[in-house]
Amino acid sequence: MFKSNDQTSHNIKEAETIIGPSIKVKGNFHGEGNIIIEGQVEGSVKTSSYLLIGDKAKIEAKIEAKNAKIGGEVIGNIKIDGFLEIKSSAKILGNIEAKELSIEKGAKFDGSCQMTSGQTSKNEVAKE
Amino acid sequence: MHVYIYDSYLAQKKYESIIAKIETRITDLGLGGKIVRLGVMNSIYNTIEEELKKNAKTIVVVGNIKILNQAINAFACFSRSKQNTCKTPLGFIPVGKKDNKIAKILGVPSEEEACNVLSARRIETVDLGLANQEYFLTEARIPTEKTNVEIDTDYSIEITEKGEIVIANILSDLNTSPGIKSKINDGVLELFIKPKSSNAFSRKNKKIKNNSVFSFKKLKISNPEKGVVLDDSITLPTPVLVSIAEEKLNLIVGKARFF
Repeated sequence: MFKSNDQTSHNIKEAETIIGPSIKVKGNFHGEGNIIIEGQVEGSVKTSSYLLIGDKAKIEAKIEAKNAKIGGEVIGNIKIDGFLEIKSSAKILGNIEAKELSIEKGAKFDGSCQMTSGQTSKNEVAKE
Repeated sequence: MHVYIYDSYLAQKKYESIIAKIETRITDLGLGGKIVRLGVMNSIYNTIEEELKKNAKTIVVVGNIKILNQAINAFACFSRSKQNTCKTPLGFIPVGKKDNKIAKILGVPSEEEACNVLSARRIETVDLGLANQEYFLTEARIPTEKTNVEIDTDYSIEITEKGEIVIANILSDLNTSPGIKSKINDGVLELFIKPKSSNAFSRKNKKIKNNSVFSFKKLKISNPEKGVVLDDSITLPTPVLVSIAEEKLNLIVGKARFF
């Protein structure tokens, strides 16, 4: 609905949804555009685009996205079609599925990790 | 034929000279037509319905946001009854600076200068927001305190900080959103949640991360104390169901519009 002419901040500019730090979302949050989460989410988060989880975000949800960068706390399984970047500030309790993965030194991760071709999760995201 | 509908407050003596200037300019531009002065005896809804049935070429409301909002509702109700978007465009001549922030959004200058916009006849088909049974063009606002928001029935939002919720069809305050342009016919509305600690919705602003933005098609707002203010003109008690209306509006806008 809104289109920015500003080219300086790529992720913010193109985000369809921004969940600020004073917001708690409960339920199934599904979108097609980029999502930025700085607040809290309980339920499930799904997007066929990019997902950015900020350093102070707290997520208790099943996550599905095309690509993602996680800096906050996540309790739940994460399924990423493409590249998942985990920052040093991240705390993840759950299983990860991703085609490509980067984990920064200092990140906490308790769960199993499965590297996929990316095709399975892509089809599933498309189906739903 | 052009039909000009004057708001009742323009009957005050202080507006006499302004109205005279507007009428002179209208005549100079060859846009003369029928004038209807609203009063106790005639409602804007009946007037617009009657004129639309007579296939008026253009209907122009003269006044402020309140008459414009009423006209938008009358147009939308007519379109709903015909199950088709009304082809007649709606024009606006703002008179007085009070309650006329919307004029700037539409790119329409005040008083007789607005006649030039009518003459240029730049028509945009715009989406309308629908809150319960009322239509709105720009925004619906409510404070965040004690407000519960449910979007598309899939998820609900809890807001932990005081501030304001703005549901925007056309975002009115460009100072708080530099670099962001509204798209007024994309079939979705946007929900902005702006905590008090944040000064702007701006995506450039460093405080951007304090603000929240959601796109939606249907939303339910409830608040036990406060109502939802539409287009700065009417207040609806909650619960209010907000959605994008099926009806659209052909609006005469200026070159300097915000969208």
